[in-house]
Amino acid sequence: MRISRREFMKVAAAATAAGHLTSGALAALEKALNRGGKPPVIWLQGSGCDGCAISFLNSIHYAAVDDLLVNTLDVKFQSNLMAAAGDLAVSAAEAAGADPGYVLIVEGAIPTGAEGRYCEIWENMTMHQAVQDFAPNAGYIIALGTCACYGGVSGGAPNPTNALGVSGVIGNDPRLINVPGCPAHPDWLVGVITYVLTNGTVPPLDEHKRPLMYFGRRIHDDCYNTRKYCGEPIFAEKLGDEGCMEFLGCKGKHTYSDCPMRKWNSKGPGLGGQNWCIGAKSPCLGCVNPNFPDGMSPFYQYLPGPARDEGADDNQGK
Amino acid sequence: MPTTIKIDPITRIEGHLVIEVTVDTVRGQQQVVEAKSTGTMFRGFEMILIGRDPRDAAQYTQRICGVCPVSHGMASTMTLDDAFGIAPPANGRVLRNLILGANFIQSHLLHFYHLSALDYINTTGLLDMAPFTPRYVKADMATGAVAEALVANYLTALTMRRKAHQMGAIFGGKLPMTGSFIVGGITEQVTNRRIDDFRALLTELRAFIDNTYVTDAQALGTLFPNYYNIGAGPSNLLSYGVFDLDGAGDNFLSSGRYSGGAPGALDPAQIAEYVKYSWYTSASGGKHPSEGVTEPDPDKAGAHTWLKAPRYNGQPYELGPLARMWINGDYTNGISAMDRIVARALETKKIADAMDGWLNQLTPGAPTVTENTIPTNASGTGLTEAPRGALGHWMDVENSVVSRYQVITPTNWNSSPRDDADVPGSLESALVGVPVEDLEQPLEVIRVVHTFDPCQACAVHMARPGKSADAKILIPPNVA
Repeated sequence: MRISRREFMKVAAAATAAGHLTSGALAALEKALNRGGKPPVIWLQGSGCDGCAISFLNSIHYAAVDDLLVNTLDVKFQSNLMAAAGDLAVSAAEAAGADPGYVLIVEGAIPTGAEGRYCEIWENMTMHQAVQDFAPNAGYIIALGTCACYGGVSGGAPNPTNALGVSGVIGNDPRLINVPGCPAHPDWLVGVITYVLTNGTVPPLDEHKRPLMYFGRRIHDDCYNTRKYCGEPIFAEKLGDEGCMEFLGCKGKHTYSDCPMRKWNSKGPGLGGQNWCIGAKSPCLGCVNPNFPDGMSPFYQYLPGPARDEGADDNQGK
Repeated sequence: MPTTIKIDPITRIEGHLVIEVTVDTVRGQQQVVEAKSTGTMFRGFEMILIGRDPRDAAQYTQRICGVCPVSHGMASTMTLDDAFGIAPPANGRVLRNLILGANFIQSHLLHFYHLSALDYINTTGLLDMAPFTPRYVKADMATGAVAEALVANYLTALTMRRKAHQMGAIFGGKLPMTGSFIVGGITEQVTNRRIDDFRALLTELRAFIDNTYVTDAQALGTLFPNYYNIGAGPSNLLSYGVFDLDGAGDNFLSSGRYSGGAPGALDPAQIAEYVKYSWYTSASGGKHPSEGVTEPDPDKAGAHTWLKAPRYNGQPYELGPLARMWINGDYTNGISAMDRIVARALETKKIADAMDGWLNQLTPGAPTVTENTIPTNASGTGLTEAPRGALGHWMDVENSVVSRYQVITPTNWNSSPRDDADVPGSLESALVGVPVEDLEQPLEVIRVVHTFDPCQACAVHMARPGKSADAKILIPPNVA
């Protein structure tokens, strides 16, 4: 049901009291919501699986997705949800694209082989062309999911369609924020949008253009498996067993992400996740890394390390 | 005077689909006389999988689709189990069914409310903002109190599908894209707490399905009864069966085939794929999936789609909830656009109700994974059902790595183009006879397209069957 801003802020305040939303984040959300007018969003999908959009629909921890769609954001083009189709939908995208300052969300990789014809998003518009056409007028550009950030699974070797991430197409753009993941966590997207609307700037980013507020700490350092057996780690010998899965292929030592704290599939407003990959005894795949999946494969084989910089083998510009 | 209109893009689906219809006046009514279905994205999963550790396939193939990843996880782990020569323990088998069931519920709720419902509701005064505008407005759309109630349910359904994913994550780790699906079973362990948490969410979902979703679907049929008379297509139905009940191949929803008005045996050897209208070299076509070749050719003359045309004994088939419920004997009302919608709702209830019983089959503390080792050389097959229909994976392992991986998805069948004999695909046939009142607002066409619940990322052919000695990239030299 429609949630009024007042009701939403009450829930968010309760979440703060429960410790799940910092007071700073609460203030930011309040400022974002009270900003005049709803920020326009153009959401383009290329060579991907729409998993990041499905994941976004799971947003509830920071903001319920119905609240976002109805009250907070002005989603001018999003192919999974929008009422219009065909020419009516395309004209909505074009009209929005002519009015600078929107948030451009790019999901899925951008194939550049065959003059971009491995992915056409509407008549005579390849994804490759669309990113080039819509980037210039964007206020912020969010590459959503590992495919859009770095090529991801769509760009997995031998990368038959020569799929690239957004920076591979538009270069090192100061408006670009990479929000990877396979899929991306809905909180990361909602949090980044809140940040840019509130602060008017891109958040602090790491060398792979990922927001440090979500990708600043190694999974391994916050993983309960590491902490549980402090000083005397127990290692799982086969999948399904208790213990650290480093030798079963867990890439937690190679991956910077807040999954251990945030977890996945939030239980409700202001609440953390129901479970997470490692929580379910499945090893971390390193899905937020620029070299996912190739550099993180085989998934169930131990990867010595850790390496500080996982960006060396990504798809950008290759 | 025939007119051709193109709906590009079709929205409220997964992936990229273009529908072109030729419209003419027949017996005084403007209607579709011919339709063409086109998928406009290709990624090349079969190339991407070659040479990799076979166990990774269960994770890679889930990335085929973000709406139905668990189905690919199921098909892939069944394929791996088959190739590795093992079977999951009872807990593992039941957990797979529960996580898959959770995603079926999520997918069907999403489909009815968020992908379909806006076709039937005049949202003026209720949802007057993007992305609900711009919109089509037709006189037959629900208005007033009915529209208000449907919009309220649309918004509630966003919460409900999210809870279905939350429920699946109890054993799946996270959704979409579950790490729990591995060869031999499921990684997460069974505890009473997890069973209780799952059941609590399931109970809430079942109440919504029974009291709201099924009611709304049946009400839609009452409001739009003419949709029971259009959108039938070839009326050939097929299912591989899904939700293994006992480890002996007895499925909760049976495999089977229905064609020419009668049930028939299902023999997968009768499947062949054609590429006359598809962007693959001609050498790729007319063969059984295990014998053909897939070489992308985006410049091929006369071709218009990345989808191949799967056929069973030369005939196009429809896959999905209507096919499953029909073959299982649970739905006999008819085959049409509206029957698809209603059957999908009834299937959701059937699965959700059964899942409560499946929870009782779990044994806390008992193993969830069968130990296994990677074979040197092996082959495996996994036939199951995604929300949209029959899904098959086929894999060869040579020297302990994937030498061949093939996927044929339900939307591949449903959204297929014409085959080499120019026989249209199921959706293309289903659109013939659909009235189009206003060429500027071809909503009737969009409504019927949506009943198939297209999932286009899945549909694009990913097979590279046949000999697999080397993992050559088969892109012809004229492609960058």
